[in-house]
Amino acid sequence: MANTLIDGLQERISNAIKINQSVGIILPGNNYADLMQALFKHMRSKPEDAWAYVAITRPYDDVVKQFGNFAELRNVRFIDCISQAAGISKTDPHCTFIESPALLEKLIMEIMDTFRGLDENVDKYLVIDSLSSLLIYNDAQLVTEFFTHLTNRTRLAGVHTVSLVVEEESNENINKIIYLRSDKIIKVRESFI
Amino acid sequence: MAEKELCRIGIEELDTQLGGGIPIGNTVLMVGSSGSGKTTTCMQFLINGAKQGERGVFFTITEPLFKLTKNMAGFDFYDKKLIESGMVNLIDLRIISERLGLDTEKYSVEDASALLDILRDIADELNVKRLVIDSITALCYRLQTREMIRDFIFKLGSSLAAMSCTTFLTSEVPPQVFQYSQYGIEEFIADGIIFLGDVDRQGDLIRTLQIVKMRGTAHSRTKSAMSISSKNGIELAPLLKSTR
Repeated sequence: MANTLIDGLQERISNAIKINQSVGIILPGNNYADLMQALFKHMRSKPEDAWAYVAITRPYDDVVKQFGNFAELRNVRFIDCISQAAGISKTDPHCTFIESPALLEKLIMEIMDTFRGLDENVDKYLVIDSLSSLLIYNDAQLVTEFFTHLTNRTRLAGVHTVSLVVEEESNENINKIIYLRSDKIIKVRESFI
Repeated sequence: MAEKELCRIGIEELDTQLGGGIPIGNTVLMVGSSGSGKTTTCMQFLINGAKQGERGVFFTITEPLFKLTKNMAGFDFYDKKLIESGMVNLIDLRIISERLGLDTEKYSVEDASALLDILRDIADELNVKRLVIDSITALCYRLQTREMIRDFIFKLGSSLAAMSCTTFLTSEVPPQVFQYSQYGIEEFIADGIIFLGDVDRQGDLIRTLQIVKMRGTAHSRTKSAMSISSKNGIELAPLLKSTR
């Protein structure tokens, strides 16, 4: 059952990002772990692609504990926005730690820096996990503005974005912007297993 | 303005905001409080220039050379070979003052004139195209009247402009205060003002950079968020409006 769900999600994600520049995924909180598994499974299956994963919902360490070690995955670069703010002092060669999830401009700079200098032929992907988690630390207008700036820049740089919104954390502003700025929306529902 | 007449700082976003760079020969006040990134920005300006074949000189008056080089060694842009080869010259102005026999605390008119001569001579002999004084505030502190400050900066700027040398003068101001200098004179003589400040976002201080004035070029006046990292040195991104 679980594998069917994860495989199904992976397939939907894979199909969506193949043809769309920006994909928004709206999901209920209880499907978060399944979606993560599907996403990481997809990343592991595409070692030739370059990925940046922005961790806002869970600290990098927690992601590693739950979804496996990424040391062997040279194509995935993590940007953790919440560990340092929570007082967790950590360094890791696979992850850049930002002092605070309120430093949104710095987050944009780190994201763009991740993709700088990569071969033009390499497919580049960005995962924002999640836009709704940013609302815990910033007001909705700021998050909306951040997302607009970010997606403008990623589009110009040829970076595909996969932006997550957890329904229970979200609000009207974030729902609007994810629809407006995404070429494709995936709504995760138990019913589509 | 033709590109050849502009001095590229080598910080991409900043050069873009300047319409390509600083008009060659301009004297620019780099304003900011302690820790705002004045020295790092100036050093990156010199190092990037040296990498393009333009010789530079950094006069420090606020910190000893060994501390300056130790702090800069942490940045990827910093290349020790450029210092060793003389493409970037680091000079402690206090040592020069001592060697000239000047009073290190207060300069008389003659002292100021002698110092000005030595600065011009060094710039001329080394044929530098980029010059930094860190800080003009500490230097002005030694000049005893507003007239002396005005005269010193004006003559220095004019001489260096004649040599096609672009100059950065760092100006120390208190934190969270929007003023350009300690003495209220420096900004009127300078051709350009770049203000390094910060904005508070829920207790987090976000570094900012704003070009307030730059004679001879159509420049942006927007406030940008600034980041200082060992990998890239100074970087800029648009400041999100909700914090302005």
